[in-house]
Amino acid sequence: MSILDIRDIKTVADSFNSYSSELRNSKTPIVFDNGSYNCRVGWATSKQPNLIFKNLLARPRKDRGRKEGETQIGNDINNIEAVRFQLKTQFDRNVVTQFEVQEQILDYSFAHLSIDTDGSVEHPIFITEAIFNPNYSRILMSELLFEGYHVPTVCYGIDSLLSYLNSNNSKKSVLIVSVGYHCTHVIPVIQGKIDKAKCKRIDVGGYHINYYLHKLLQLKYPAHLNAITPSRAETLIFDHGFIAKNYQEEVNLWGDGDYYDQNVKRIQLPYNIPISTPLTPDQQREKRKELAKKLVEINARKREEKLIEDEEKLGQLTALQEMVADIESQQEIQSALRGFHISNLNELRKIITQLKTKIQKTKQKIAAVTGNNIEETISEEPKIKIMKTDIKLPKDDEDIKLWLNNVYKKRKDMIEKRTFRKQRRQDMAKRGTIAAQERMRLISQLARKEKNDDDFGIRDEDWDVYKAINKEGGDTDSEEEQEKILELEEVLKYYDPLFTGSSSPNEPINTKEAYQLHLGLERMRAPEILFQPSMIGSSQAGIAETVDFVLKGYSAEVANSLAGNVFLTGGPTQIPGFLERMNKEMLEIRPFKSKFSVSLSKKPSLSAWYGAKKFCCSDNFKNCVITYEDYQEKGADYIKEYFASNSYVPLPAPLPGVDVSNDILTENNSKGE
Amino acid sequence: MTDSNSAEETAAKEKRKFVFKDRNFSYYINISKKKTWKSLKQIISQEHNLPWPKDTIHYSSVVTPPSFKPAKKYSDISGLPAKYIDPQTKLYYSTIDEFTIVRTLPSDIITGYLTLRGEHNPIG
Repeated sequence: MSILDIRDIKTVADSFNSYSSELRNSKTPIVFDNGSYNCRVGWATSKQPNLIFKNLLARPRKDRGRKEGETQIGNDINNIEAVRFQLKTQFDRNVVTQFEVQEQILDYSFAHLSIDTDGSVEHPIFITEAIFNPNYSRILMSELLFEGYHVPTVCYGIDSLLSYLNSNNSKKSVLIVSVGYHCTHVIPVIQGKIDKAKCKRIDVGGYHINYYLHKLLQLKYPAHLNAITPSRAETLIFDHGFIAKNYQEEVNLWGDGDYYDQNVKRIQLPYNIPISTPLTPDQQREKRKELAKKLVEINARKREEKLIEDEEKLGQLTALQEMVADIESQQEIQSALRGFHISNLNELRKIITQLKTKIQKTKQKIAAVTGNNIEETISEEPKIKIMKTDIKLPKDDEDIKLWLNNVYKKRKDMIEKRTFRKQRRQDMAKRGTIAAQERMRLISQLARKEKNDDDFGIRDEDWDVYKAINKEGGDTDSEEEQEKILELEEVLKYYDPLFTGSSSPNEPINTKEAYQLHLGLERMRAPEILFQPSMIGSSQAGIAETVDFVLKGYSAEVANSLAGNVFLTGGPTQIPGFLERMNKEMLEIRPFKSKFSVSLSKKPSLSAWYGAKKFCCSDNFKNCVITYEDYQEKGADYIKEYFASNSYVPLPAPLPGVDVSNDILTENNSKGE
Repeated sequence: MTDSNSAEETAAKEKRKFVFKDRNFSYYINISKKKTWKSLKQIISQEHNLPWPKDTIHYSSVVTPPSFKPAKKYSDISGLPAKYIDPQTKLYYSTIDEFTIVRTLPSDIITGYLTLRGEHNPIG
């Protein structure tokens, strides 16, 4: 079985596109596919999006005393996990709500298109918005584009419809199933016209798949909690995720060991070999010896240094003594002595003798160490503590065996006692168990005892009943006991080479294997939430059920035409098996022998951009844009309706007394002037 | 003092960097500190309170209906179809082996699985 390395995605910072005079003069529209996962930006004349980046920015925290870092956007973030907690997105689900983030994303995009016109962006903007985007959100977006960048015109479109436009422009009826990062939409389009009343949204998307796998792996491998990151979960889904054609059947296959072994993916997490590999006793002894040798050497060096120092001092002092003997004047003697911090001659003499003996002693010591071989002095093993305390080592082989068995038994008893206590505690925690009932019986018996012949407590054994009643079972897991067990194990390890500690994890662990993730059933379990949102606790219907629900809302004829053209788009539809699964689900949903057809978008995650580009290049585009005048006169939420747009329902004037947060009103009124 | 200065500095820097922007318009620099943006939830509830024309479809009204099928049960730890529920931890499990594992799991892992399945509600 091959072991796969985990693929950590490295982003490459976006390059700056050149802003040719041709682009500048032609008023080429700029197309934004503003998705909650990726943002794709490009000129309507470009073959492919000029920029594709994650719609995220990382704003470094403003720590006191530290210089404020740069805000990183999209592909500038080269390690997303390092800034995981500083990440911001303009999206709340699939709707843009954080417009200051949106503004920075737009800044970034325009800057990377190298637009250099002063104070305005002289290009029509095409930008996608969520289906049924709330007017409030559009007001702010229009405000941002018109007031912030002074763009000439803006056009809004729905990504799913644009994606369909890219692959097929027929006026046939189609049922679009668009799986996004946060939401999945089922959109019926009848004869080229979207039937908005019957659209459905499931609040499950690619994000939830990643999240689910991330959490599952973290719970499966709590030791690698930090190594399992959201972005790694994402790459694991990209590389190994698949959608089961028949989940219920396939899930049963995984219960089989052989099937599991064949299909499991072993993923190697990066790891470092720990420096302190467990040493054999021989190696340990070797190491100890080496250390001791080093210590002896250090000591010897220190002694020699001291000796030299002392000898030097002695030389000085003897010289002083001779000098003093020559000098007559008392005063001069005093001053000479003071130079050495000595008060009188007697003291000088004393110090000299002291030094002499000291030097002699050091010399002896050095001679002793170098004379005898070092080995001998340090070869003495530090004795094992236990030997000193309470275990006497028998000489005989037979005796040793007996004694070892005894130790084994002691240890076993202790461990048994402990597990028994654990079991008892667990039993006591619940009411129904025999142990708990026995306890209650004892308690009630104690309480029932009649007053007159109450001789409780006369015998010492009477008090034992409290031990029985005690939930803890009288005594608790003491540290002393744990220590004792460890000690016994230590002893066993020393005297019995065959002993392998049970509770102590001292057995050699294969680090490499310990750092492997086994990606088995999870490969299809995570993407399955698209079809069974109940797996993550959502009560919403899955894709298949929603499609069924939508189709049932139509006459048989219309439903047939919709089922005859089911179109899948959006990033997660690229997960292998999606199309097959959808076919299987349609077969189940549709009446017997009816026809249906499911097709997958060619480039599911980019087709919306291509569709938008196609639309921007069409003649119809200029009829669908909103100008700055429209924005000012018709309201900031105004849009022109066309096949890929939301429908325009102007914000109603609120009823008096209805509490509407005021800013939406002020925005509206000021724009209505 | 220093804070406002640095804010102005960055503002100036941003402006120089992005020549295509209106000099006086920026959510990021002018508003962000005082204004918190409405969340989607707030926007939706605000939408509810407005007198829309009849039959207007909103973001909140297109959400898919709840599933009519009973949710299938899968073992929390292995993902295999689960026949049993451990009454003590409330985890789903499929085999006896799994049951012994379930019983040795620490409580944080148990709540982790329950939360992931949407079963665990720490508040009530």
